[in-house]
Amino acid sequence: MYDFHNAALSPNQSLFLNVAILSIIVLSLIRSERSLRDQSQWGMLILLAVFGVSGRILLDPIPNVQPVTVLVLLAGAYYGAPRALALAATIALASNIIFMGHGPWTLFQAIGWGAIGLVGANLSNHIVVGGRIRIGLLAIIAAASGLAFNWFVSLSILFEADSSMLVPYLLNGLVFDLYHAAGNVVFVAWMASPLGEMMARHRSSPAFELVREGAPN
Amino acid sequence: MSDILKPASVVALLTLVILAPSIQDMLTNEAYKYVDDNESAHDGLPVEWENKQVICVFFPADSPQGEEFSNGITMIDAEGVELGVNQDLNGTGACVGGFEGYSNGLDFMMDSTRSARGTLSVGYDVGQWGHYVHTIGGLNADAVKGDFDGAYWNLEHNGGVSMVGIGDLVMSEGDVISWSIETW
Repeated sequence: MYDFHNAALSPNQSLFLNVAILSIIVLSLIRSERSLRDQSQWGMLILLAVFGVSGRILLDPIPNVQPVTVLVLLAGAYYGAPRALALAATIALASNIIFMGHGPWTLFQAIGWGAIGLVGANLSNHIVVGGRIRIGLLAIIAAASGLAFNWFVSLSILFEADSSMLVPYLLNGLVFDLYHAAGNVVFVAWMASPLGEMMARHRSSPAFELVREGAPN
Repeated sequence: MSDILKPASVVALLTLVILAPSIQDMLTNEAYKYVDDNESAHDGLPVEWENKQVICVFFPADSPQGEEFSNGITMIDAEGVELGVNQDLNGTGACVGGFEGYSNGLDFMMDSTRSARGTLSVGYDVGQWGHYVHTIGGLNADAVKGDFDGAYWNLEHNGGVSMVGIGDLVMSEGDVISWSIETW
């Protein structure tokens, strides 16, 4: 009996396979989004979480290139800080437990991505103008967020190493920081507009928010 | 903007992928300038290994390998001859030393552990992140169980945490590298 499932893939073959799987997941998610009710914000957030977790795991062969940073930035801009924070922490925890490895750094990643969601929420009026995303501005914010996120998560080494190790550690990881920044710009360029349109379809209407805010406890 | 950014961002990422190895080499050399060598890395090792390259492997005391080296740290020279056991070092395992002239960490590790005649044989995978050592002396880090989420083989270089994997480690004369099981 041949052991067909014991084939060793090269990193490039593995990347090709993963991109193919991710494409299937993305296509399925796009189809699923069409069947969501309008203003089904939580349904949309679940689809984003699935995309974030699978994207982070399947793009692992390219170091630090993953869609999560851009997703939480957009979630902040469209759905506000609390939902972006929930999305950030869910993706960090789920992907680390499933595949990437769970430890103290998960907390740093959840906080780091949560802070990026907060930035998205605070700059919402600048990022989305007249219903359209300002791609150039978002690309700059996403690239800067990638660098800031990596430097923040790097602080988790202080649990195990002396503070004198921090500078060489950051210096040594600069290429991976650049991967994150460049990857974010690619994701903004290719998917921010279609994702923004989808997310806008599932925003709560202003009238709904007013009713909710005015309702007695 | 989006029309220009799409191809430009892909070109930028591909350029980074192509240039990454040479940028990384440059940054690693630069980073080492900020790391102080721990002069005590040779403490407890045979004096004849002073200024010679050494590898040490520390096994958990309750592992089969730890029980094999339960007397302390066994010192093995480059010819595979046991020089003795240092019982004062807090650990169970072996050090192999007396080497010189190695600059690549992986080459040194593979050659030096061969001197221990199988007791320190190394198993590793090669991925996009580089070489990942999963097994030393038959002890696979994944097989180490306890009150923790997971375990891995941790590399130290001259007494400090190594910033790079063994495949990217640049060694100098007198360097000491050591491996021990760490958990998270």
